[in-house]
Amino acid sequence: MSENLLTVSSPTPVTYVEGRQRPSTSSRGPYEYVLLAAASLFALIAAYFVGTVIWRAVPAFREQGFGFFSNAMWNASFDPAVPSQFGSLSMIIGTLITSGIAILIAVIVGTGTALAISFLLPTRLRTVAATLIELLAAVPSVVYGIWGLVVLTPWFQYTVGPWLAGIPGFAWLFGTTAGGQCYLLAGLVLGAMILPSYVAIGREVINSVSKELIEASLSLGATQWQTLWKTVIPTARIGLFGAGTLALGRAIGETVAMSMVLGSALSTNYQLLKPGATLAGWIATQWGEAQGSSQVPALFALGVILMVVSLSMSLISNRLVARQRRAATL
Amino acid sequence: MSNQESTVNDISMAQVAESASFANAPVAMSLRNVSVAFNGRTAVRDVNFDVPQNAVTALIGPSGSGKTTLLRALNRLHDLTKGAVVTGDVKLGDIDVYGGTIPTTVLRSRIGMVFQRPNPFPTMSLYDNVVSGLRFNGVKKKSILDDACEQALTAAAIWDEVKDRLKAHGSTLSGGQQQRLCIARALAVEPEVLLMDEPTSALDPISTASIEELIGQIKNHVTIVIVTHNMQQAARVSDQTAFLLMADDRAGVQIEVGPTSKIFNDPDDSRTLDYIRGRFG
Repeated sequence: MSENLLTVSSPTPVTYVEGRQRPSTSSRGPYEYVLLAAASLFALIAAYFVGTVIWRAVPAFREQGFGFFSNAMWNASFDPAVPSQFGSLSMIIGTLITSGIAILIAVIVGTGTALAISFLLPTRLRTVAATLIELLAAVPSVVYGIWGLVVLTPWFQYTVGPWLAGIPGFAWLFGTTAGGQCYLLAGLVLGAMILPSYVAIGREVINSVSKELIEASLSLGATQWQTLWKTVIPTARIGLFGAGTLALGRAIGETVAMSMVLGSALSTNYQLLKPGATLAGWIATQWGEAQGSSQVPALFALGVILMVVSLSMSLISNRLVARQRRAATL
Repeated sequence: MSNQESTVNDISMAQVAESASFANAPVAMSLRNVSVAFNGRTAVRDVNFDVPQNAVTALIGPSGSGKTTLLRALNRLHDLTKGAVVTGDVKLGDIDVYGGTIPTTVLRSRIGMVFQRPNPFPTMSLYDNVVSGLRFNGVKKKSILDDACEQALTAAAIWDEVKDRLKAHGSTLSGGQQQRLCIARALAVEPEVLLMDEPTSALDPISTASIEELIGQIKNHVTIVIVTHNMQQAARVSDQTAFLLMADDRAGVQIEVGPTSKIFNDPDDSRTLDYIRGRFG
């Protein structure tokens, strides 16, 4: 280390070997090896994790082929003569429905909340609100799960459900019988769960919209409302989209609460008052009885789907939020 | 010092625009005992002067003298700041700006503004930027918007450069072009007064020269109030100059207002002379 410092500050010009950006590696101090070792260990762990998950999933993909995505049946066969049937279609659709409801709630309620915090609240309350919301974002999901199960399920079963089921003309959407644990409730709980993190990011994105743009809009005679709709939201939209993608990634990966309030049922009836299952929730609920059986590779395969989806979600959202930072500053 | 003297002489002799006599010119805006306070702390105190129509009024003074604060009081931009209070009379023609008889949105479309840094709306095309003010005011008809767009861009001397790429985004323009786009955007709503807050401070000398030339052209259509740090600029572009200074209690006060040629050649107050000659600030 001291050698490095001396080399840099020495008055004699440092000569570099052509094509190299830095002095030769022989001048590295021991701390560099420690850091390199730590980083390599991490890379090894990550590779081992990803590698084994995929490896364990391969038999399921090989046996089921494309049926793993297009089939809604999940039957583990213990008779060697009868092949097991594993299809994730029902869970994929369940995940889409619950995440879709959740993201809808998060974007509509969350964007409004973020705008209200930034533009309506007095400065002193802003920090308080922002801190409270960040605290909410840190609440473990199992708490949301038990809240949904104990507090909301009966309310859904006896009040909200029957009312929705009775709306004429909407049977195709809700079904005709009320249930407690169902897609709609799961979507709402999931929405409440991802709302705080969406608001937290959305608020930062909205605050990143340059004050000069807001003033430009107002100085042209725009009302505050027009300024929000025509200037702030369009300027922030890429970042808000990024916040939404991040929230969606969390919603898709959510396990505990989903296995609690969705009812863990596999069916091809996707009406909103029916119980169902999500990819993540299904892994959690099936694991107990799956051990040692042919279900294991199939559950790993669900894990691979989840991994790919959430990885792409976080990649997309990172890129969008970074693009937003560049776009919103003048 | 001698170097600075000669600079000042250059300004006095060659650069001060031949100011038309505006003593009898109609008054676009008038300020009487205008003060601005933030959370009880006075930032600008007791400003009194008239802004003559179709002329350029420059607000000069060192940092902290309240030039920008005063400028933003004219189109009620302080309304956004919690704890900001403007007192005294600001009038646009006969209308009391703070009297409540004119909606702020209407007022701001009659008193336009150009900011320090070019701030085109990043998500809008050049065309949409220019007509945004008209759209805010409810104009929808495409032929009206098209005409207004061409007129405003022509007035801002940028039409020839951008007429073939009106669908492009503002970020594709150079800084100077962006500022002219912002001027076009402000002019498109046909304001009576245009407030300019150090409009060239973020620009290179060539772009600055083109904006100054533009100011000379558009003042035939619009009254201009410009804040500038650059005394040569004030001397070059303005007809009337108001000199502000920070008082002992840190509030900006008006020291002297008069025709630019007088302020730069023969000011009444010795502090004005000191500032013009570069002795402080």
